[in-house]
Amino acid sequence: MGMNILEANKIHKSYGNKFNKQEVLMGIDLRIEQGEFVSIMGASGSGKTTLLNVLSSIDKVSDGTIYIEGKEMTAMKEKQLAEFRKHYLGFIFQDYNLLDTLTVKENILLPLSITKTPKRAAEEKFKAVATDLGIYDIKDKYPNEISGGQKQRTSAARAFIHEPSIIFADEPTGALDSKSASDLLNKLSDLNQKRKATILMVTHDPVASSYCSRVIFIKDGKIYTQLNKGEQSRQIFFQDIMKTQAVLGGVPHEY
Amino acid sequence: MNINQLILSSLKKNLKNYYLYVFALIFTVALYFAFVTLQYDPAMDETKGTIKGAAAIRTASILLVAIVSIFLLYANNIFIRRRSKEIGLFQLVGLTKGKILQILTIENLILYFSSTIIGIFIGFSVSKLIMMILFKITKIDGIAALSFSLEAFIQTLIVFSVIYLFIILMNWFFIKKQSILSLFRVKSSTEEKVKKVSIFEMIYGIAGILLIILGYYISSKLFGGDFVSLNELFLAMVFILAAVIIGTYLFYKGSVRFIFYLIRKKKDGYLNINEVLSLSSIMFRMKSNALLLTIITTVSALAIGLLSLSYISYYSAEENAEYVVGGDFAFIDMKDSELFKATLAEHQIDFIERNIEVLQVEANLENIIVSNLDESILTSDLTRMPVPVISEKSINMDVSKGEVRFTGYNDMLNRFLTFKDSGNLELIGKQHTVPLTFKGIQKDKYLSYYFTAGGIPTAIVDDTVFQTLKKDIDPTIQGEYSLHIGIDLNEDDKIDEAAKLFTSSFHEDTMNLSRIERSDEQKHLYGLTMFIVGFLGLTFLITSGCILYFKQMDESEDEKSNYTILRKLGFTDGDLVKGIQAKQIFNFGIPLLVGLLHGYFAVQSGWFLFGTEVWTPMIIVMVLYTALYSIFGILSVIYYKKVIKEAL
Repeated sequence: MGMNILEANKIHKSYGNKFNKQEVLMGIDLRIEQGEFVSIMGASGSGKTTLLNVLSSIDKVSDGTIYIEGKEMTAMKEKQLAEFRKHYLGFIFQDYNLLDTLTVKENILLPLSITKTPKRAAEEKFKAVATDLGIYDIKDKYPNEISGGQKQRTSAARAFIHEPSIIFADEPTGALDSKSASDLLNKLSDLNQKRKATILMVTHDPVASSYCSRVIFIKDGKIYTQLNKGEQSRQIFFQDIMKTQAVLGGVPHEY
Repeated sequence: MNINQLILSSLKKNLKNYYLYVFALIFTVALYFAFVTLQYDPAMDETKGTIKGAAAIRTASILLVAIVSIFLLYANNIFIRRRSKEIGLFQLVGLTKGKILQILTIENLILYFSSTIIGIFIGFSVSKLIMMILFKITKIDGIAALSFSLEAFIQTLIVFSVIYLFIILMNWFFIKKQSILSLFRVKSSTEEKVKKVSIFEMIYGIAGILLIILGYYISSKLFGGDFVSLNELFLAMVFILAAVIIGTYLFYKGSVRFIFYLIRKKKDGYLNINEVLSLSSIMFRMKSNALLLTIITTVSALAIGLLSLSYISYYSAEENAEYVVGGDFAFIDMKDSELFKATLAEHQIDFIERNIEVLQVEANLENIIVSNLDESILTSDLTRMPVPVISEKSINMDVSKGEVRFTGYNDMLNRFLTFKDSGNLELIGKQHTVPLTFKGIQKDKYLSYYFTAGGIPTAIVDDTVFQTLKKDIDPTIQGEYSLHIGIDLNEDDKIDEAAKLFTSSFHEDTMNLSRIERSDEQKHLYGLTMFIVGFLGLTFLITSGCILYFKQMDESEDEKSNYTILRKLGFTDGDLVKGIQAKQIFNFGIPLLVGLLHGYFAVQSGWFLFGTEVWTPMIIVMVLYTALYSIFGILSVIYYKKVIKEAL
C-alpha cells in the first residue's frame, strides 16, 4: 500500500436553508493512493459531481474533513485554497474550459505561469506533455480551430503540466465521439502509468471507467460499492462494471 | 404571475443592473434642462449679447439633443441585446411579440419618465449655479435667479418623449426581426471569431499608425507657411482630418491587434495573468469596436481641442488687451484725455500720464530677424519694414546714441519672426539712413494697436536720433495719429471704478480705449464660447464614458466563464482583479491617449490664432478631461470585481 494522496472523512454536503434542506452527500469516506486512476460512477443526481467539486475545493463541504497530501483542505481560507489549487490540483472538464482567446500552448502553460516557473523549464515541460498527448503540432492554434478531441487533450495537458498531486476529471469524454474518447482515455492511462499521476474521474460511461484501476459507485449521496480491476482484462472489468451499474440503476429486474 | 408583476420584477432587476444607465439618463436630462432654462432666461439676454451669441446657444442645444439621443439609442441597443435571452424566454412561454413589446414599453416608460422628472428637478436646482458660473466667466454683472421656465420644461419633455418613441420603435424592430432561436444566440453572433492575425491586418495596422503620424506632421506645418493660399490651407486641413480619422480607425482595427500580437509572439506562449486578461482579450475585442472607438476618440479630440482653444482665448484675454491698449486707458485726442484726467482727479484716483510721440519709419531688419515664413507670404519686405519708433525720453528709459531696443514682443510673433540676440539694423528716413546696433527686445507694451499694426514691436531710440528721424519722415507711411496718451492708475483696485467713469464719459465709437473694458469684452465673447463648448464637452464625455462602461459590463459577462476557469486553476480573485486593472488601463487608456494626442496636435497647429498662452490652459483642460474619464475606468473595474467574485 502506497501513501494516501487524498483522504476524505465523513463528508456531508447539503444545499438550501434549514427549512428546505437537501442533502446531497451523506457521509462519504474515501481514500485514494498515489498513482491510482479512480473513477466515480453513479446515476445523475447521485451526487457524483458534487463530490468531485467538494474534493477539488471548488465547493465547500457542510461537514467532514478532506486531506490532500496530508494537508487539511477543509480548514483553508479562500486565498490558501487558491494557492493550494495551483500547486496540488489539476482539472479536466467535460466542456474543456479552455480560454478561447489563448492559443493551445498559452492555455497549457497557464498553470506554470501561476507558479512563476522559469521559462526554459516551462518550455521543456510543455514539449514533453504536448508530445505525449499528440498536440505539439497544433500548439499555435486557437481552441475554435481544433477538434473536440484535441481540445480535451489540450485541457488534459494543462492539467498534467505542473505535475499536480491529483487530477480531477469531470466527464472528460462527455462531449467526445467514441474514437476521440478512447484516444483520450488511452492517453490518460498512459500518463497515469508513465508519470505516476493520480487521477480521479467522474463519469457515467462504463467504457471510460473500464480504463481505471478502481471504480467507486455512488448512490443517493453514499458509497454503494467499489470494484477493483486487479489483474483482469479491461473487457472483463467492463462487464463487471456493467453488471454493478445495472443493479445500481435501481430498476428491479426480478419481475 | 401576471404581466404587471412581470414588469415590476424585471424593472427591479434592471434598476440594479443598469444604475449607471439611469444615472446617465438623469444626468443628461438635467444638463439639457439646465441649458434650455438658460436659453429662455431673460437675464441671459445680456450674455447672449448679439444675435451670434443667441445663435450659438441655439446650435449648442441642438447639438446637445444630438449627443443625448445618439447616446440613449446606443445604450438601449446594448441593453436590448443583453436582454435577448429574456425576450426569447417570454416568447417560449407563449407571449406574443406585441405583448413583449408592451412589457418593454411600459417598463421603459416608468424607468424613462421617472428619470426624466428627476433629471428636470435636478436641472432646475442647479440651473442657478450654472448661470452664476456663466456670469462669472463672461464678466457680466447679471443676477442669477432661480426661476422655473415652463418653456424649458415643455421643450425638455418634448425632446425626451421623441427620443423615447425612437427607443420603442427600435425595440419593436429588434423584437420583430428575431426568432426564438436567434434570440438565444444573439450575444455570441456579435462577437468576433478568434483568428490569427492576418497579413492584411498587419498592413493596415502599420498603415493606421503611419497615417496618424503623417496627419500630425502636416498639422505641425499647417500655419508654417508651406500652405499659402486659402485653398491650399483648406485642402491641407481636409487631408489632416481624413488622415487622422482613417488612421485612428485602422489603428483600432489593426494596429492595436498587431502590436499586441508582436508582444505576445515574443512571450512564446508563456503569458502571465495580466497578459492573459488584458492583451489576449483586447486583441480580439478592440477590432470589433473599431468604429465606436474611432467616433469616441475623434469627438473627444474635438472636444479637447475646442475646449483648449477656447480656454486659450479666454486665458489670453488680458494679455491680448495689453497689446491692443497701451496703458490702463489710452487716448489719441488731447481733449478727451484732459476730460478723463479731470474726472479721475475729481474722484481722487491717482494716475500717471504718458505722452508718447510715435513715428512710423521703415527699417531694414534683415540682420536681426529670422523669418520662419515663406518669403512669398510675408506682406512686407524685411529690408523695408515699417516700424513704430519712439524716443527714450517719452518712457523714461536710457538708450545710447547708435543703439536701438525693441519692445512689445509676443509668443505669436516669435513663431513667425524670431529676433536674434544682437545685430545691426538701419532706420530708413526719406533722405538719410541711420545705422543702429540692436540691443535686444523686451515684452512691455507702451502703444495701442493702431500704432503697432496689431503687434509689430516698437523701436526705442535715443532722443537725438528720434529728433533727426522726425525731420526726415516719409509722410506717406505715417498713420492717422502720431500721439499716444497713456494713463496708468497707481492703484489696481480702483480700476473698476475708473472703467465705469470711462464708459460713462465717452461714446463707444471714439478711438479712446480702456484696457479692462477690452479684456472684459473678450472674456465676454470667449467666455460664452468656452461655456458652450464646456457644456457640450462634458455631456459628450459622460455619455461616451457610459458607453464604454456598458461595453465593459457586457464584456465582463462574456468573460465570466474565463474567470471561472482561471480561478479553478488557482488564480486568486486578487490576481484576476489586478489583471483586469491592466486591461482597463488599456481599454480606457488607449482611446483617451489617442484622443489627447489628437487634441494636442490640433491645438499645437493653430493655438496662436486664438491667444498668446498655450501650455497652462491646454494642460488644465487635458488633466480635467483625463480625471473625469478615469472615473468610468474605475467604475468598470468595480463592476468586474463583482463579476469575478461571483465566478466561482
